[in-house]
Amino acid sequence: MQREFGCNHIDHEISRRSFVAGSATGAAAVGGLLTPAQAKTLKSGQKRILQIFLQGGVSQFESWDPKPGTKYGGPFRSIPTSVPGTHICELLPHTAKRMHLLSIVRSVDLKTNDHRIGRLRLEKGRMAGEFPYIGAVASKYLAPPNPPLPGYLHISTRGIEDNTNAFLNAQHAQLKLLGVNAPENLARPAGIDEEVAQRRNEFRRLANERFAGRGGQPAFTEAFDSSFEMARRLMKRKSLFEQEPSAKDVERYGSHPFGVRCILARELLNNGATCVKVTHHGYDTHAENFNFHLEQLDEFDKTFCMLLDDLHDSGMLESTLVNVYSEFGRTPKLNQRYGRDHWGASFSVAMGGCGIVPGAVVGSTNADGTEVAEREVGGGHLFHTYLQALGVDTSQDHDIPGRPVPIGDPSVAPIEELLA
Amino acid sequence: MPPRRFQTIVVLASMLIAGLRYGAQTEGADFNVPPPPPLPTSIAPAPAEQTESQTEPLRTDIDFLIRSATPNFDSLAAPVSSDEEFVRRIYLDLAGTIPTSEQTKAFLKDGSPVKREALIDRLLGSPQHARRMQYVFDEMLMERRVGTDIPATDWQAWLRNSFRDNKPWNQLVTEILSADGADEKLRPAAKFYLDRKFDIDLVTRDIGRVFLGVDLECAQCHDHPNIDDYLQRHYYGLSAFLKRSYLFTDSKSKKKMLGEKAEGDVKFTSVFTSEEGQTDPRVLNLPGIPDPEPAKELYIAKPAGKVRGIPAYSRRMQFAKAMITEDNVDFRTNIVNRLWALMMGRGLVEPLDIRHSENAPSNPEVLKLLANEFLAHNYDIRWLIRELALTETYQRSSITSLNATQAAKAADAFARGLLKPISPEQLAWSSVVATEFTFVTMNAQEAALKKAEPEAAAVKIHDPLWREETLRKTLKSELDVVVARFAGQGGQKTSFEATADQALFLINGPNVQKWLQPQDGALTDRLQKLDSPTELAEELYVAVLSRPPTDDETTNVENYLQSISDRPTAIREMTWALLSSAEFRFNH
Repeated sequence: MQREFGCNHIDHEISRRSFVAGSATGAAAVGGLLTPAQAKTLKSGQKRILQIFLQGGVSQFESWDPKPGTKYGGPFRSIPTSVPGTHICELLPHTAKRMHLLSIVRSVDLKTNDHRIGRLRLEKGRMAGEFPYIGAVASKYLAPPNPPLPGYLHISTRGIEDNTNAFLNAQHAQLKLLGVNAPENLARPAGIDEEVAQRRNEFRRLANERFAGRGGQPAFTEAFDSSFEMARRLMKRKSLFEQEPSAKDVERYGSHPFGVRCILARELLNNGATCVKVTHHGYDTHAENFNFHLEQLDEFDKTFCMLLDDLHDSGMLESTLVNVYSEFGRTPKLNQRYGRDHWGASFSVAMGGCGIVPGAVVGSTNADGTEVAEREVGGGHLFHTYLQALGVDTSQDHDIPGRPVPIGDPSVAPIEELLA
Repeated sequence: MPPRRFQTIVVLASMLIAGLRYGAQTEGADFNVPPPPPLPTSIAPAPAEQTESQTEPLRTDIDFLIRSATPNFDSLAAPVSSDEEFVRRIYLDLAGTIPTSEQTKAFLKDGSPVKREALIDRLLGSPQHARRMQYVFDEMLMERRVGTDIPATDWQAWLRNSFRDNKPWNQLVTEILSADGADEKLRPAAKFYLDRKFDIDLVTRDIGRVFLGVDLECAQCHDHPNIDDYLQRHYYGLSAFLKRSYLFTDSKSKKKMLGEKAEGDVKFTSVFTSEEGQTDPRVLNLPGIPDPEPAKELYIAKPAGKVRGIPAYSRRMQFAKAMITEDNVDFRTNIVNRLWALMMGRGLVEPLDIRHSENAPSNPEVLKLLANEFLAHNYDIRWLIRELALTETYQRSSITSLNATQAAKAADAFARGLLKPISPEQLAWSSVVATEFTFVTMNAQEAALKKAEPEAAAVKIHDPLWREETLRKTLKSELDVVVARFAGQGGQKTSFEATADQALFLINGPNVQKWLQPQDGALTDRLQKLDSPTELAEELYVAVLSRPPTDDETTNVENYLQSISDRPTAIREMTWALLSSAEFRFNH
């Protein structure tokens, strides 16, 4: 099916419109619409990551690297975006209007078509082996000493339990939230009210004080104390997980699970989380690729943009790296069930916010999208890029005694042209 | 401990200079347990050279070397631990749980001058010790992987029986590295391979880490960028033993097992330099093992769809031999460092799997001595643990009045006892021992047995093995929840990690609440029946912290009881507080 390409005229129009919109919301933020939590978080100078993981493998053709009118391009059009000359798939109309906040890398080759391996290569930035995930590294190097929330939170429904912290301390491991449910054991058991909890904890504190006084190993006893402190803080913030999202938020973000999870993600980021990952399930479209992407991306596009707007309007985006990714892309060639299969050899990811040059497109695929044409990158390049954008020097060794392990894969480098 | 005799110093010095291996023999009579089974002749090392020092047990030499490695050692050294410290420590280390109230009291009351040694021997011969070692080695070898091909219960029973028989380490490793899963008897040992899906890269790396103490991870793709000792050929030398083997599913039983081809070599290319290399199977820097001249028939069973390949010459079957050969010093150095870490709370090399010339052992003489002696004693794990438990070094107090810098220095020098975070299994089992939920459980099991087998019951309920196995079986699923919550990253390590969800588990979790219920036989029930607050404080502290309370603590208990009108509630709250305390969380 031949579709019309977008033309420059529209490019300019959209870009001008969004520029105006952008300044208007910017002014609103300055005008004092920040919540106290946001203001406190912003003031702390902390940097953070929002990861949106499109689980199963979003199709690059139907998202960031459309090839309309080509052999494998599929039925959808490409549309102009707020960045002149940059087109994305028409399934992302809201994102297109905010493309000046994001950049695309169109030349990712992970050299695998396996869900797990693809995910691990992106999360660990290594081809193989036990290394911490980006979120755990962020928790270690970006979270303040006594963070108000665990450093690495993942809002998901299911998924394999992974060793996300590898050799980093367990406090940096991912704490998985099942949907918008609170972590387990957050509620006090029957018969233990605040008063009881306090007095029995006081007895416990006395015992600990005596034990510390015998000259132990402070690193151990302090880590133990801090886990209770973190538990206490989580319990205090139980309402974060319980509060019903406002009608206005639901209207903007959507009432579907991904919508309410992104509202929770925003609240967690506003309240001092360091890395929040939200998984949007269901992109493994081995059959009916186009129908599925129509539905999935409809849900993703608007919700993601509301979250992006909120981060941008509050000024948080400047200190928040936003990253949209999948474990791989999808095959150019359609299978017999109108599906696209696993394809790790040439696909795209998007990113924006803290430390990232906005509005850029890095790398390209060939005309039919069957291979990377220029600027091939892998999980290691992206890992370096995300973390260096946040100010972590990934060429250094991890701050772990006796373990000279470089933070990022030393055989590859960050994508310099994306670093602001 | 008596001061070291001059004579042995001379022997020791000459040993260090000449690099002689010398044998310290244990007094066999001290063992309450059957002697280890004889080694197959093929792997038995040469008999130890006889020297004068054989009368001097290893523990004395260890203490001497630890002492002499640090100037002003005495100013840093903590005194020997009190009986209260010792009894909790040794039960946790050897039996895997804190002692029961009665066990603590009996030990504290015992006036024998050799009661520590006697307790060590009793614990080493107990079913609880085999279970403890099962947990330790399961974690060390499988690193809490969830595998499906070999049922965990089979593997754990195999480990437990191995430790009950005190199977030597070289034999245990031979069985693991030689298991193909086809031989039913050794099938549990194939878990190491099969439940890593026989992913060659993973298996290679884990063999390096677990059996040799070197992490060749980065050397898979290039010589290690930071560690000069770790070369790509080391990695591929190990993987060459396995490269011809493959995962095979038996068509009848549907079981996974290993087949092997007769051909195939290992080539590798550095991603940095693009240099190519090739290697025979080899263990680190030991000579390669070239294939023999090919036999006329390459196969005993030629690989085909339904036929598991068995080559005439198996490279994989060379692996165990190459690993346990006496020339392979890394093999014994790794395990003695791990056993030292298990007992002392910190490896002589840390991290345990990253030994190389830039990360030298904190006390190389001790490490070398342990490795030599372990070989001379035929890789006898129980003997080594016993010797370590009998050292002054192990038995020193962890209490110190030194300032933080000096205290850390003392810890580095092994001049004081170190805190050891208790393992998930130790925590789970100690919690049910402390709350005496074990009695609640066993009362029910004994009643059930008396009903089911009225005649056999009278004998059976006194059988330590029946008791141990029944308790473990009954509480397993409940305690697995605790273990899963506290397990974190798998693999033997000495660091401590604590997460918010673990604390939440202790603060609000249903399990802890259940153990604190005053059921018949539970600690809270027993305490409720005591009228005297002093006596209550005494019983509470002995049960949970394995020591009597201090005067201040007794006063705290009295005050607590006075301030709360509901006595059972007050008892539950105090028990919770001690169970969630740092003193309970660490072996100290």
